Amino acid sequence: MKLPHEIVSLLKIKGINDTVVYLVTSSLNGNINLLPSPYTDVYLDEYILIPDLFAQKTKVNLNENRIGIISIVLPYSDKSITIEGPGNIIQWGHPQKFRFYDLTAGDILKQWGNWTEKENILDDENQTKPEVFAQRGVIVIKAEHINYN
Amino acid sequence: MAKLTPRQKNWLEGTGAHIGTASKNGVPTVIVVDKATMVDDSTVKFILSPKQIQLVVKNLNENPRASLGPGGIGSIRAAYQFKGKSFIIGNELFVEIEEIYSTKPGPEAGLRLDNLAYNDVLKFEASRWADDGPPR
Repeated sequence: MKLPHEIVSLLKIKGINDTVVYLVTSSLNGNINLLPSPYTDVYLDEYILIPDLFAQKTKVNLNENRIGIISIVLPYSDKSITIEGPGNIIQWGHPQKFRFYDLTAGDILKQWGNWTEKENILDDENQTKPEVFAQRGVIVIKAEHINYN
Repeated sequence: MAKLTPRQKNWLEGTGAHIGTASKNGVPTVIVVDKATMVDDSTVKFILSPKQIQLVVKNLNENPRASLGPGGIGSIRAAYQFKGKSFIIGNELFVEIEEIYSTKPGPEAGLRLDNLAYNDVLKFEASRWADDGPPR
């Protein structure tokens, strides 16, 4: 599904003090995991992208259970939304033709495989962001349902 | 259970949390609660709306595991994930925290903090963040 414009704007590359976005995944036996990220972007108004920065438990969960939920508190509001859909990690090493729905690894890694080309990600005091940005790939969630809470 | 540091408690109480649960077959659900109260050094309590209870009660009845991440503006500096057993009494959700992880992006992501000595966790926090909780 296409995300509404205001949600796309919220998830586009943003500043350091914006609301944290969580990606929620689970193993097949219900071991839940939350991944916070200050970095997100949106492709084709439908795919939410997050750089994979050592997100090892997320990777394990998505490899066996391809469901992801994005959870966001709307800025300046007490409302929150969740966006659910299938998820995957497109990693360096995947063949360029590797496909996840409308996406290919070649396209995604070319545009988002080096996130530092998209966004100034290092803060001076290193309180939020990693000193060294070692990206292993791009986490992708295909939006299929939105819930407003 | 895991003993939370003052900074961890301040962030949870100050911003509430994203609360993830899952069915026994791994179907996840998440709710956001903007207020939390520490009951003791390891147990946190949230007041849920009827809709939020409806969203999590089925999962918790078959799988009591819950995972918490601080929410709200600026909470990316609260790079923690808290995991534990949870239960509902009335409209209150209690989570007994058993595991604490760093979620700071990069090589420290996934580092288990509750296995470290308590004083070492305090040093870990002091060396990485200047605040002791969310802005007041």
